[in-house]
Amino acid sequence: MKASGIKYLVGQGIDNVWKNRMMAFASFCVLLVSLLLVGLSVLAYFNVTSIIGGIEQKNEVIVYLDDDTDDEALEQIGNNLRGMPNVTGVNFYSKEEAYESLKASMAEYEVLFESLGDDNPLVDAYRIKVGDISEISATIAQIRNFDHIYSIRAPYDFVNILVQLRRILTLVMGAIILAMVIVSMVIISNTTKTSVYSRREEIQIMKYVGATDSFIRFPFFVEGMVTGFFAGVIAFVLTAVVYKAVVETLQNQVALLSIIGMGNIIQFSDIYLPVAASYVIGGALIGAVGSSISTRKYINV
Amino acid sequence: MVELKDVSVTYSSGVDALNHVSLKINDGDFAFVVGSSGAGKSTMIKLLLKEIDATEGKVYVNGYHLGKLKRRKIPELRRTIGIVFQDFRLIPSMTVYENIAFVLRVIDAPAKYIRKRVPYVISLVGLQAKTNSYPNELSGGEKQRVAIARALVNDPKLIIADEPTGNIDPELSYEIVDLLKGINACGTTVLMVTHEHDLVRHFGGRIINIAQGEIVYDEIIGGADESEWN
Repeated sequence: MKASGIKYLVGQGIDNVWKNRMMAFASFCVLLVSLLLVGLSVLAYFNVTSIIGGIEQKNEVIVYLDDDTDDEALEQIGNNLRGMPNVTGVNFYSKEEAYESLKASMAEYEVLFESLGDDNPLVDAYRIKVGDISEISATIAQIRNFDHIYSIRAPYDFVNILVQLRRILTLVMGAIILAMVIVSMVIISNTTKTSVYSRREEIQIMKYVGATDSFIRFPFFVEGMVTGFFAGVIAFVLTAVVYKAVVETLQNQVALLSIIGMGNIIQFSDIYLPVAASYVIGGALIGAVGSSISTRKYINV
Repeated sequence: MVELKDVSVTYSSGVDALNHVSLKINDGDFAFVVGSSGAGKSTMIKLLLKEIDATEGKVYVNGYHLGKLKRRKIPELRRTIGIVFQDFRLIPSMTVYENIAFVLRVIDAPAKYIRKRVPYVISLVGLQAKTNSYPNELSGGEKQRVAIARALVNDPKLIIADEPTGNIDPELSYEIVDLLKGINACGTTVLMVTHEHDLVRHFGGRIINIAQGEIVYDEIIGGADESEWN
């Protein structure tokens, strides 16, 4: 096809948006609502997992060492811990530090500590952070095999709750997003079908005068793409407004923030580019593919 | 050239629409196809446009053997045929000019040629003053003239007119047939389907009468009037 032909078909597609503005507006609204439903659900999911991830990072496993562990063995255990794939942080906590800290926190029982004299009943320890807390049991089992391990303290209950919470959330949010996508596709498909049905005669005339299938579909493709593009742009603007308003509201909730941590809420300025690209490309693609698939039914004349 | 060799069409409902029909229309011929509703006229048109396939027999149109024509080649066949419908079938959102130019755009004709050819065809059907009008601003006769101009614009070998006078005033019917006769005089084969016997008697020529899916009459008769084009 000549460049002038393509230019004509693109022009036709854009003109059709205006000529069929009522149907185009209906498609636009459906696409906008669908994009918003899916987009906001995905953003909510990312934030909830980020918050859970943040809480998970607060986990701490304390590895107590035997009292007779020498410096060389201490060093070796530290290196072994650092070399473990699921260990993200290792801090040595000497028994002296622990004793001072204990004394500071129990200042009213000074007499008790005096009775102990120079004897320090505590042991050296490593405080470690685990990357994937659902694997915490396996990691601890590995550490138990090291020499000079006295005992290990891990927040099993807390970890179990978080792991369960994340699993349930992934399932629920996944199901919601999947349902939104399916419902959106069905509505979009029906709306474009109605739009194409209202122009079935036009399609038939094109077929009778010898238009190829691609010649007929191309303007519908462009029309759907233009409608979807604008739906994507507006969905992005609305998302930005809603998202910022929600983040602002959360910033004023001090009590809530102390639990979830402000740093765990994804800032819109960090994600606006991929969000904009997903909306615009997603909108244009769904609009274009939806329209051209719907023409198929009326093209076989 | 149109040729049907022992063609039968049976629809999936079991209805025999055409029954062992053989017919030949040579290049440059003008033929009326007459018959009552359900006689098989529409089936014949659908067959010639390869909208449906023959259950039996062979169909040739403008050098294409339709039984062997692949689906992707159908547009190529249809570009050699101009079609005029009873209900005009103009695109309501396009002007007279655009409705006609559209056919040339379909065949990817150069823009310069379109700008020259479309006004010429519009002048042939006498609608220069309506070039920028939309179909809803035209009378029935004018709409049919636009449809004829659209059928004519890519210089087809064959024009099929399916009841072209069915939706217009009787006095305008003669003008429409005159126009088709004029096109035929320039060498285009014209096949006009109609059930208006008065019109056929008036113009005369080759009459093919179909009844219950069979050709019951195929003769040339003299007309009462000599068209101004002849």
